[in-house]
Amino acid sequence: MAIDSDLAARLAMQYEPATYRRRIAGHDVIIHCHHYNARLQRTIEGARGIDGKGIIVGAAETVFADQLARALRPDDDEARRWAVAELLYRHLGFGRIDLSQVGAGIVTADSSHFVEGWLAGLGESADNVCSFTEGYVQGAVYAVTGAAVRVREVECMARGAERCRFEVDRGERPPVTPNRKEPPIPAPREPGAGWLRSPHVDEQAIIDAVVGMPMVGDDAGLIPAFSVYLANMPADFYNRICIGFVEAMRGLGRDKTAIRLLVSDAEHCGMNTFRGIMHSPEWDGLIAPMVRDRADALHAIIAISNALGWGDWHVTAHTPRSLALESRYGYEAVGYREFRGLAAAPQCAMLTGVAAGVMELVYGEGTVEERYGTFSAREERCVSCGEASCNFAVEQVE
Amino acid sequence: MRREKVPACVHPETYKYFLDRDAVIPTWQRLAARWGEPRHNTSFRTMEIAAPRFTLRSTVLGNPITVLRRRECTADDVAELHALLGYRE
Repeated sequence: MAIDSDLAARLAMQYEPATYRRRIAGHDVIIHCHHYNARLQRTIEGARGIDGKGIIVGAAETVFADQLARALRPDDDEARRWAVAELLYRHLGFGRIDLSQVGAGIVTADSSHFVEGWLAGLGESADNVCSFTEGYVQGAVYAVTGAAVRVREVECMARGAERCRFEVDRGERPPVTPNRKEPPIPAPREPGAGWLRSPHVDEQAIIDAVVGMPMVGDDAGLIPAFSVYLANMPADFYNRICIGFVEAMRGLGRDKTAIRLLVSDAEHCGMNTFRGIMHSPEWDGLIAPMVRDRADALHAIIAISNALGWGDWHVTAHTPRSLALESRYGYEAVGYREFRGLAAAPQCAMLTGVAAGVMELVYGEGTVEERYGTFSAREERCVSCGEASCNFAVEQVE
Repeated sequence: MRREKVPACVHPETYKYFLDRDAVIPTWQRLAARWGEPRHNTSFRTMEIAAPRFTLRSTVLGNPITVLRRRECTADDVAELHALLGYRE
């Protein structure tokens, strides 16, 4: 489908330099890679006693019904509405779906971020893996037609199929849950006080370069950048699935286990994602010439993660054995406040895990598995609890 | 020339191919003749050719070349690429 200027304008990314947030079609989007997305899915769907798949499908349905509604215009005819739904999926980096037969109850996909992520990071799967796409299509059908449907994947490329195939069931089901939340909290405090910088690393140049990259799906709807597959995921999706997972596990008395699992996924993500980035031509071209020692690498990694929209976080103290970070506007903390109000305990599992993971990557030795667990991170204060900023402390494990 | 495996990438068989200095320009010319001229990313000082079964990416110096395979990539595709690069197992 040709992308005309009208569609391009609807999906153009708006960047907010004060908080590093990226916004597409009315939603803050966070750029994560296939390692994190596949691991997060495996954790949530793999937990016994809860409907993890339902959490992912439901979150995708709710969030993309809302995002698509914001991308549509009142004078769009139905063909154009379906075209926008196909395009948004591809644009965000999730792959390529064909909605041309959705009226007959069939949807196919010949390219998928989640399939690529699963196969590259976790190996072949015994089950279909496109829960996210099921939810996306349910949200798309609702946004385009107003109908609440169930979508089920019946063939998956992760299991060797030539393409993923989905069936649309138009039977009775509850209405789509609206993406209701409180207005975002303002940025908690002025930036800059007490942050450490490297004299060699031009963080702004890194951020400008990353923000200037065309982080949109290619012909196949994928974003192969920094030697990983990236995707623009709405922050609301991550927050809905993580909050939903912890709350569901709380019902089994396992909420602390759930948080540990989310932190662990992020710790692996911190190592895998940035290991891929540090071996990429993009790193070699722009960043490697700035890096003289391991501390420089750490500062460069933090700058990249800020450009990806993770947390507006900054180094406040640093030795080879320890790290302290302050985040002004992490999407987890802000999202918790929007969805649930004030929290009783810190909520930033992703940033906590990544904080440990990047120290393991920068200062550790050996394979990812050998490095895992050699640093420990905790979130000491959190915006979700009403604090002015989120603060993380990382220490080497003796 | 030699190659090194690159960890944690989009495909388990991702390598950097280190070209001999004299081979850099003719190699890129062969790649461009087969799959089109490279696109340049001035911010990151990189260039790449997006072939149907691979992405070929390097810094503007052209060496090494990181080859990111797509999942559909076959042994025949790799053999063709290796012939163009002048790489032998």
